[in-house]
Amino acid sequence: MSQTLFLAISTLGLLAAVGTILARNLVHAGLYLVAFFFVVACQFILLEAEFLAVIQVLVYIGAVSILLMFGIMLTRNIQGDATTTVPQGWTLPALVAGLGLFLVLGFGINNHVGLKNKAAWSATATRPSSEIPKEGEASPRTLAINNMGQAVGIELVTRYVVPFEVAGLLLTAALVGAVALAYREGDDEGTNPAMRARAEFEPLDAPDQNRNGQPDSPGSASLTTTAKS
Amino acid sequence: MNFAAEWTLPVMWAQQQVELEWWTWLRWGLWLVLGFVGIFPGVVAYMVWAERKVAARFQDRIGPNRVGPLGLLQPIADAIKLITKENIVPRAADQVVHLMAPVLLLVSAFLVLAVVPFGFGTSQVDNPAHFNGFVPIDPPAGILYLIAVASVGALAIFLAGWSSRNKYSLLGAMRAVAQLVSYEVPQVLSIIPVILWTGSLSLVAIMNQQLDQGWFLWSPPGLLAFTLLMIANLAEVNRTPFDLPEAESEIIAGYHTEYSGMRFGLFFLAEYLSVFAVCALTTVVFLGGGSLPFVDYPRLFGTETNTAYLITNGLAIGITAAKILFLVFVMFWVRATLPRLRVDRLMNFAWKTMVPLSLANVLIAAIWYECVIRPGQPVQALGFSLPKPVLGWLITLPLVLALLWLVFWINRREWNAEVKAARTGLTRGGLPGIVR
Repeated sequence: MSQTLFLAISTLGLLAAVGTILARNLVHAGLYLVAFFFVVACQFILLEAEFLAVIQVLVYIGAVSILLMFGIMLTRNIQGDATTTVPQGWTLPALVAGLGLFLVLGFGINNHVGLKNKAAWSATATRPSSEIPKEGEASPRTLAINNMGQAVGIELVTRYVVPFEVAGLLLTAALVGAVALAYREGDDEGTNPAMRARAEFEPLDAPDQNRNGQPDSPGSASLTTTAKS
Repeated sequence: MNFAAEWTLPVMWAQQQVELEWWTWLRWGLWLVLGFVGIFPGVVAYMVWAERKVAARFQDRIGPNRVGPLGLLQPIADAIKLITKENIVPRAADQVVHLMAPVLLLVSAFLVLAVVPFGFGTSQVDNPAHFNGFVPIDPPAGILYLIAVASVGALAIFLAGWSSRNKYSLLGAMRAVAQLVSYEVPQVLSIIPVILWTGSLSLVAIMNQQLDQGWFLWSPPGLLAFTLLMIANLAEVNRTPFDLPEAESEIIAGYHTEYSGMRFGLFFLAEYLSVFAVCALTTVVFLGGGSLPFVDYPRLFGTETNTAYLITNGLAIGITAAKILFLVFVMFWVRATLPRLRVDRLMNFAWKTMVPLSLANVLIAAIWYECVIRPGQPVQALGFSLPKPVLGWLITLPLVLALLWLVFWINRREWNAEVKAARTGLTRGGLPGIVR
């Protein structure tokens, strides 16, 4: 039914993805990435999973993209002037590796047979649509469609509580690591804005290793993500 | 598969028609044309006029009074001036991004308003005591949607500052993004008590819940959360005392230094639209939307007949608007009264005061839920029963006061130690913030 819409949106998404890797300016590449995130949110909307779409916008556009931009700003390439270039010798190997990955993923998804008693990934189903709760107990599917936030919350603290806690532990570890990386001996008075400003501007003079679009250390990445999520 | 037959254009368009009643089309069309193109920009224009008048009264001036009676045509004159003004874009600027940033900011400010109920709408079919809300759309994850689209604004501000190729723009954008990301945490955390008490993320459900049990403001954790939300709102929309991103004495105009003409006008529109939107959010979340205390008029009049529907919703829209305008006035009041914060005090206030307060307030809100909102018998002790709200106030009020005292005591102690260290010259370079 919404196949045409799906195709149109997917085309936009693919264009944005190609733009991300072809853009020479880092901020432009980041913007294409934001467009791609938005297209993913649109796909969730097409699947009538508006809760996931909203989370996608909140986490990826609201937090991760801001983080990317900050990462770009904190390198020396602060205005995005210096453009990235692809070294000549690497084009062909990168192409081969990318196509190989695409083939493996496409083959794997297309020929997945599923575990015992579990459906395969590639099964087709008609589009779910809003269900009106019937008399008596609402089915899990009805709950998931009509109030997905509640369904996801209940699943997170019952069935998936261990992965949830492990993810939390991972984020905490990343946070502690980020603090440890950022902390400097003798700089803990924290009272002197001039001192702190000087300390913050020092990395700008340091040799810049992040020219090639590695925007930030993973530690500070998870710092903001934790704060936002 | 007969590809050509299946994918011809008419079939394609016929395939993706979603079945909508004509009434839904009309409703959405009216919301778009009247609300989002007509009324909201008009409200914003006259908010600017009101702010100038209010600020003038605070500063013992008269304010705009030249264009029309009481200066009422001033917003129109301003709009004409902004539209006809030449639009100057720096040659070094990134042309596309420079154009995109204000549009993105405005879209984000408009999208927020799509889930805010301004009235009660019709009664629900399966539960006549509750209402569907006078709202464009009511997604089950409404509050989350609102937070998500509001957070896109930070990206737009960053892009505006970056694309201008101006140091002051860039500094303003950096400040703005740091501030928005920091104050988003207490803003969201202070809404969590309400979500906990309602058990739903839908703003309409929150409004209905307050019809049942009174405004969420009237509880100790509710009062604290309301205060925190108002402060965080001020910071989220870059209003004084949190207007560091556009501090004109330090960085000219911050992220919109290089904008002129209607592109600057879009920033202006978006800022006041955000003020309106956060005040509307606060009204619905804590002040019960269109409801009044002690008078349950929506259920008194009902929405069965057309007249009853019009009376109920007319009253509701009027009351909601009055509450929103009062909150907007409070924002103007604060702006006319308080000076600007310093950058480090701003961040300290967010992370050391507001985040701990709002986090602990979630726990106190859970206690209030157990005492008051959870259905069940009131506590019986020594032969007489205590009404539930009284029990709730008795338990949570001391907790809230103790929490406030604790957080401020810790911060004050730390600050005193720093001041002492600075006076005795132990800190390198002294303490520029303290001027005797």
